[in-house]
Amino acid sequence: MYRFYLAIRYLVTRPINLLGMLGITLSVWALVVVVSLFSGFMVVIEEHVRETSADVAVTNLPLWADANKLGRALTDDPNVAATAPRLVHFGLLHEAGKRPPPPPLPGRSALHGGDQPFLFVYGVDPAQERQVSAFDAWLTSEEIPAAMRVADPSRPFATANDRAQVLVGLERMKREGLARGDELVLTTGIRRGGEGRGEFQQVAIELEIAGAFKTRHGGFDGNILFMGIGELGRRLAASDEPGPAEPSPTPGTGNEPAQGQQRVQEIAIRLHDPTAVDDTARRLQEAVFRTLQRRHYGYGLVETWRARNADFLGSIEHQRWLLKIVLFVILVIAAFLMLATLSMMVTEKTGDIGILTSMGGTPGGVTMTFLACGLTVTALGVALGIATGTVTSIYLEEIRQFLIWATGVDLFPLDVYNLDRVPCNIDGWWLLQVTGMAFGTGLLASALPAWRAARHDPLISLRGN
Amino acid sequence: MTSPVLTARCVHKSYRLGKTEIPVLRGVDLEVQSGEIVALLGASGAGKSTLLHVLGLLDPPSEGEILYDGRSVHGLSIRERARLRHDHTGFVFQFYHLIPELTALQNVLLAGMMTDSVLRYWSRRQEAKKAATALLERVGLGDRLKHRPAELSGGERQRVAIARALLAEPRVILADEPTGNLDSNTAEGVIELMFELQRERDAAFVLVTHDEGLAVRANRIIRLRDGVVVG
Repeated sequence: MYRFYLAIRYLVTRPINLLGMLGITLSVWALVVVVSLFSGFMVVIEEHVRETSADVAVTNLPLWADANKLGRALTDDPNVAATAPRLVHFGLLHEAGKRPPPPPLPGRSALHGGDQPFLFVYGVDPAQERQVSAFDAWLTSEEIPAAMRVADPSRPFATANDRAQVLVGLERMKREGLARGDELVLTTGIRRGGEGRGEFQQVAIELEIAGAFKTRHGGFDGNILFMGIGELGRRLAASDEPGPAEPSPTPGTGNEPAQGQQRVQEIAIRLHDPTAVDDTARRLQEAVFRTLQRRHYGYGLVETWRARNADFLGSIEHQRWLLKIVLFVILVIAAFLMLATLSMMVTEKTGDIGILTSMGGTPGGVTMTFLACGLTVTALGVALGIATGTVTSIYLEEIRQFLIWATGVDLFPLDVYNLDRVPCNIDGWWLLQVTGMAFGTGLLASALPAWRAARHDPLISLRGN
Repeated sequence: MTSPVLTARCVHKSYRLGKTEIPVLRGVDLEVQSGEIVALLGASGAGKSTLLHVLGLLDPPSEGEILYDGRSVHGLSIRERARLRHDHTGFVFQFYHLIPELTALQNVLLAGMMTDSVLRYWSRRQEAKKAATALLERVGLGDRLKHRPAELSGGERQRVAIARALLAEPRVILADEPTGNLDSNTAEGVIELMFELQRERDAAFVLVTHDEGLAVRANRIIRLRDGVVVG
């Protein structure tokens, strides 16, 4: 009993111990708030990425693959709700007769849509695409101004002339001052000739902007164009005649689709149960290999949405880990502060060690007295830090609004990240981990002074003042 | 015949200073009977305080043995020795050694907490408080219960220390120059109080002093010189 009684008395009579407690509180608060904010940010980013990625996609399909047969094999799986073919190409977008804009400066992040001229072109079938993604919602977003809105979202690529209709991301439209009906050129290239041979040929596809699309993933909006899959396939095929030295390809064995067959490079898949995505992806991979007869290594890879964005999501997760490490250092510094104040207290209280021993105390009891001091400081610091950190995390948006009102400074500009409010995800497991880390460091910081107190010879303090 | 409450048999104690062995006690034999007042008299450096610490199990003898109620304490664990120290002996020191953060009442109560768990103490806290208050009233500090040591005079502090030593109702009180830091009037009052309490409780009393006038009031005087009992 005396250990805890004395520990509390020692603490309440020494306000300097508040320093250690405040240090722990501050570091725990930072660990909770910053990680909750970052976790919230990750959740939102994942949602945004997820929105623009099908649950599963079969990628790297060879041109000779029979997309219809493959589609039937995929829809045989009980968890597959819908499939949509895509043709993925690339190119430089620019005005007719003008050079493409220069490449972006180093450091410009693709996350925010970038300003690079190099783009990916997704050839899609709108009817099928809206079965696997939020394609309709992207075209009818309320953020799209009337002058940039697609005339008929049910037939976005319908055209009255011979120019290919294209959908451009809203931010790019705004940035480059584009409007519906503007004419642009996509300069791209295709390879002429057989597999492993041939040369690239420049191709210019004349485009007309059918309207803007808007997702919540800035990187997607900034780097993707949508075209009708048939139109894109035709434009590429028209320039894709084999050179005179090339042998005529044999359908099903060379690099050409079979006659009358649509060019498909990728099949996007929506699942009935997205939580079973990994198991489904494994089954689909087997189905694709069976259908393709595994003739070419690297073709027909089945990837989940998470695997497709692994680098991007991984880099954010990596940043979160770095943040955790940096914030943990603050906790260690707070523990050093506590160690210093407890050491001072032990030096001051050596006189008490003698009298405690004479009354029946043991070195273990003396150790526990000072350990109890440190652990009490830690417990109070952790409790305060967790409580204030949780409340701060919950009201982050309100705090941001208040700071803008009071100082005019926006600490977290939402439009940069396509967010509606400051994200926050308070993870109970992380709170437990923070508590554990704080108690671990608190215990280590208390153990040294407590051990020093226990080693003190009680007779030295009893022999005289 | 009952065993002495405290026995020292051929106790030697020496300290090592670098490579030199410094003998402090050299074969001390001593028996203290229940209810007896024994004065340990000797000049500074004679080994009085060291003998008191050895008798109180604060310092183990280099040779010889200590017996409590006829039972040797040799070979007891740290915890067992601490428990025995708590139950069997009470200490009063020259410099009081009160804990400055605690009031007079809390300092006395602390002695009652030493061997109790939190739950056990909580269940008997009223009883412990009553006993501590009664003791403080007995030593004349009934109106000073909530005063901290810094707010008490030297004599009052020593009275608190005496009350603290008596709370666990020990068989032996070991007092190391309890009046050495007090003026003569206050010292007289403190000594009178100690002797009264000793009679009331029939506890043995080992009193270290170099004051001949005080020593003659004891039942027996043991003189120490250079670590040896000389009379």
